[in-house]
Amino acid sequence: MLSKLKTNAAAEISSRVNNLYCSRGLLSRTVLFALLLASSCGIVAQAEEGKSYSNSQDFQLHGFISQGIIDVDGSDFVNDSGDLSTELTELGINASYQLTSKFRLAAQIVYLDGGNRYAEGARVDYALIDWSAFTNEQWQANIYIGRFKNNHWLYSSSRDIPFARPSIILPQSVYFDGFRDIAVGSDGIASKISYSTDDYGNFDWQISYGSSPISDEQVKNVLSEYARGSSEQDYDAQTSFYWQPAFSSWRFGLSLLDADFTYDSAGQDNGDFFSDSDFSFQFYTLNAIYEGEKWEFSGEIYQQRFTIDGFYYPGFELDNIGQGYYLQSRYKVTDKMTLLARYEDFYIDKDDKDGKTLEQNTGGLVPYYFGFHKDVTLGINYDFTSNFAVRAEYHWVNGAGRLTPVVAPNPAINDSEDWEMWAIQLMYWF
Amino acid sequence: MSSQVSALEIVTHPQVTESSLTKSQLRRIYTMRQLRWSNNKAITVFVLPSQHVLHQRFAKERLQIFPYQLNRIWHKLTYSGLGVAPIIVKSEQELIQAVLETPGAIGYLSDEMLIRQREAYIDKESPDMEEMQKVSSKGVVNVVKIKD
Repeated sequence: MLSKLKTNAAAEISSRVNNLYCSRGLLSRTVLFALLLASSCGIVAQAEEGKSYSNSQDFQLHGFISQGIIDVDGSDFVNDSGDLSTELTELGINASYQLTSKFRLAAQIVYLDGGNRYAEGARVDYALIDWSAFTNEQWQANIYIGRFKNNHWLYSSSRDIPFARPSIILPQSVYFDGFRDIAVGSDGIASKISYSTDDYGNFDWQISYGSSPISDEQVKNVLSEYARGSSEQDYDAQTSFYWQPAFSSWRFGLSLLDADFTYDSAGQDNGDFFSDSDFSFQFYTLNAIYEGEKWEFSGEIYQQRFTIDGFYYPGFELDNIGQGYYLQSRYKVTDKMTLLARYEDFYIDKDDKDGKTLEQNTGGLVPYYFGFHKDVTLGINYDFTSNFAVRAEYHWVNGAGRLTPVVAPNPAINDSEDWEMWAIQLMYWF
Repeated sequence: MSSQVSALEIVTHPQVTESSLTKSQLRRIYTMRQLRWSNNKAITVFVLPSQHVLHQRFAKERLQIFPYQLNRIWHKLTYSGLGVAPIIVKSEQELIQAVLETPGAIGYLSDEMLIRQREAYIDKESPDMEEMQKVSSKGVVNVVKIKD
């Protein structure tokens, strides 16, 4: 019965995958097709064996369904009208198939609808070959080839997985939805090396190199709604290191990112006001998490450097260093109920924390409050069962520094310094 | 809690050669940091749902990890493509069956369930000696000692 349900879910989701704009990579498409085929065969085989559990070590099928409502007052974070919205849908299905003792195939398709937060539609979240290059009692070394997820930040790999992240809306200064499709993963190669000892604990070191396709909608989201040209990510190189002392409730991490982008103007003859441009982005984070029986504390502190060469006019140059952090605590009231409180503080330019220079330099076109983003969040999570939960939260936001478009903001809609939002989301996973 | 809390045993497929594990080995196995037995055979990990009482006790008493921490580790593996998480079965009966049917399997059971399963196995009539061995190679799970 469950297997049949899963088959139906798979069929339904795959039928919705009609605009796989991200699946340009032939590799991704091939892997995905193989997986879907393997998954349907696997389900049939297991159903015939009459097992009550449908997964095995060699073949696993998982997914999630979630729907919520969200209401934003005072910004275009979700929609332009400010009305209550149901644009809070996240669906996903994934499969993992062990080809041989050393090689595994894995892929996930997600469908996301978040209003203005990111492009609505289905995308290949990851589709990869996992090569277990070396493994023994203490060491594991894996190489991932294909489309892999960004596993470098505290919540980067679970940002789309409603029940696995801490809140419905994550701290936007790190997990900015406007950058989601670029930041969530890459097409390329990644590796993970893990080492565990009884004396010193667990060490995880990851490196990744690749790039993400950038759609025209993302160009408009990130740069400007008037940008008519196309943008490309040249490369995205990341590394991260995590350490959990032996039998400790603490874990510490750091991550480094370096990425370059180019913008090809469509030309003034085609109505593109903007010029050819190079962008570079560097991002460094330090993080820590404490996981106790009742209390949990986590935080990330980060610095970013964003440079523009061109875009507004040939020869234009900008070099901004932004800084921020968030601190989060969660309290488990019972086994089923968890409360959340978080404070986030972010400045686009560390030398212009009140945004006054930004306003001056743009001749008043971009108000000062686009220079920062602060968010106070309170939330509650209730687990009905081991795989069905509901979550609700309220955000008090000060500043418009994390609203799209980023490079050329829209102060006409976002005309207030303070804005608020709340959301409720139901989540089911298997 | 009216009744005495019963003991909890770590069990493996009959062909698994390890007769004891250290606490940290058990932790590595359940956090998916050790994927193979000493003879290089793949380990298949079975668990009960995260809200099952026995699972909660197993996590806290044997692994000294809170169940929500295990969920996080497993969710990350499952939904980010990094690896494979333990297989969740609904009940202890299903767990014992799964461990018996899967070479390289590991799981956990309450003492009562283990005793019941052994009694059921002994009660089985099997006049043929060969037949008996066939069943016995499949019929009783190994109990693994956990050392500190």
